[in-house]
Amino acid sequence: MAGEVKQYFDNIGIAIATLWDGLRVTMGHFVAKKRLNVTLQYPRERWPIPERRIGFEEANYNVIRSRLHVEIDDCIGCLQCARACPVDCIKIVTVKLPKDTELSALPGSTQRNTTSNGTARRLLVSRFDIDMSECMYCNLCTYPCPESCIFMVGGPNSHKQPIDYEYSTRDRNKLVYRFASATDQEVEYLCQQVGVPNPRKVQKERQAAFSTETADGEAKVAHE
Amino acid sequence: MNSLIDTIVDFLIRLTGVPQELSWLVLVIVAAVLGVAVFLFLAVNALVAVYFERKVSAFMQDRLGPMEVGFWGFRGGKRFWGGIAQTVADTIKLVVKEDIVPLAADRKLFTLGPILIFSAAFCTFIGIPIGYGIVVSDFNIGLFYVVAVSSVGVIGIILSGWGSNNKWSLYGAIRSAAQIISYEVPVGLSLLLVVMVVGSLQFYDIVIWQEQHRWFVFHSPFTVVAFVVFFLAGVAEANRTPFDIPEAESELVAGYMTEFSGFRWAIFFLSEYANMAIISLMTAIVFLGGWLSPVGGLLRLFGIPEGWYYLEGAVWGIFWISVKALFFIFTMMWFRWTWPRLRVDQLMSTAWKVFLPITLLNILFVGIWELIFA
Repeated sequence: MAGEVKQYFDNIGIAIATLWDGLRVTMGHFVAKKRLNVTLQYPRERWPIPERRIGFEEANYNVIRSRLHVEIDDCIGCLQCARACPVDCIKIVTVKLPKDTELSALPGSTQRNTTSNGTARRLLVSRFDIDMSECMYCNLCTYPCPESCIFMVGGPNSHKQPIDYEYSTRDRNKLVYRFASATDQEVEYLCQQVGVPNPRKVQKERQAAFSTETADGEAKVAHE
Repeated sequence: MNSLIDTIVDFLIRLTGVPQELSWLVLVIVAAVLGVAVFLFLAVNALVAVYFERKVSAFMQDRLGPMEVGFWGFRGGKRFWGGIAQTVADTIKLVVKEDIVPLAADRKLFTLGPILIFSAAFCTFIGIPIGYGIVVSDFNIGLFYVVAVSSVGVIGIILSGWGSNNKWSLYGAIRSAAQIISYEVPVGLSLLLVVMVVGSLQFYDIVIWQEQHRWFVFHSPFTVVAFVVFFLAGVAEANRTPFDIPEAESELVAGYMTEFSGFRWAIFFLSEYANMAIISLMTAIVFLGGWLSPVGGLLRLFGIPEGWYYLEGAVWGIFWISVKALFFIFTMMWFRWTWPRLRVDQLMSTAWKVFLPITLLNILFVGIWELIFA
């Protein structure tokens, strides 16, 4: 009986002491002069990228598939990568050069006639878009490329293109990477030479038609 | 004539010269306006308290809390006002959300639940003074009224728990009923001790007694215990951690409010923070001298002549009671972010085996104390 009574009061005493302990700890953090917070407000603050010490050479570390990159000056427009892509996130449009013409002969051209492997470039790549929001990082597009100009950034390719670790945007459309370096002037000139419709203009017209159909199409029709 | 409704009605009738037969109309209009005022007070209280709670919890856990939504340049940086408009944004989101009533729910009870809970909190505020003459309606049984009406909310909790047709909700509702019935006893008995000393159930008499004698926390060692027990039991009445078993997140999803979303859920939140304010104001009024100035009390104790530095009067009164109430609201948050939740049986044994005997003995001892010293 006496033991139980003692137990009862001991329990109350222990409860008060431990509750007070807890309160002291939280209050200590609340009034701490220097905020100990570990929160990092990501878009405005970033952790520094740590130096990589993974135990072996970076060039051998062929696991990173950060994002796709294309060395467009080496691209011959063979469409191999676009065909290999399982999700069709690579869109390539090319215009064929007429015989006896060279890419650098186009007015104001900065294009190279041959790739770094020495292969002749006979197609003007007017569009080379990769939608990285669709890409599933399977790496299948890099194997068929005869010029090795499409590759995953990182690992052994780090010396070609630095890694963008975050590669995050606030706009989904910014995940569509446009690699084509041909200027509008070149494309227009070449298309007139060959006698084919300008693929860039065609694309713009189709996009315009699409947006009037969907977004404000009804309003425009009503207005007319 | 020391309640707002009487004062304003009287003033309006004298100002406009409304005939005596139409005075009921003035009364209705004034009552409606004061009702809106109380609602606004509760809404602002919830807005501020939610932000306050999120910041307090964040700082206690070494986080930053809401930091993104701000206005007037109160944006960014790591100061405490980082996300000052966060609760405004959250409220707008809650109000414009789709109103969902589950198919299997009992529609009538489901609708009635939040309304009842909020009405209880709302009606309680009618009797709580926040200054001399600043109370919607003055009851001569104010203390009893507040304790009684604030417990009506449990009916709303049971209705919403039962009406949701969800086992978590039902568990939460049943637990809530058990808890509030249990903790009503220590709350009532702790207040009874004050009533015993003062001899009145009116809030004014209690505060005036404290003005003439001393604040109740300093009255005797037993009132200190009563104060602690009342506050802890009050935390339990407000369903807050460590007594939040009716909505225990880790056990019952969200207890009786599991099925609620959008505006109905916002009403639950509004009443939760209203209940916090009620408990804090009650504690401040009954045990800490309500709107009395601590500065004035101290100076009077040392026999310093009265002056402006006593910081007394209507406006200072509201200031002091707000400071005291905010302190208790902060203490509730401090408890919440420190202590783990009690188990159901621990909760019951705390109420019946610890708080109840302590308060009963307290009443006896305070009676003896009064016989000897008063």
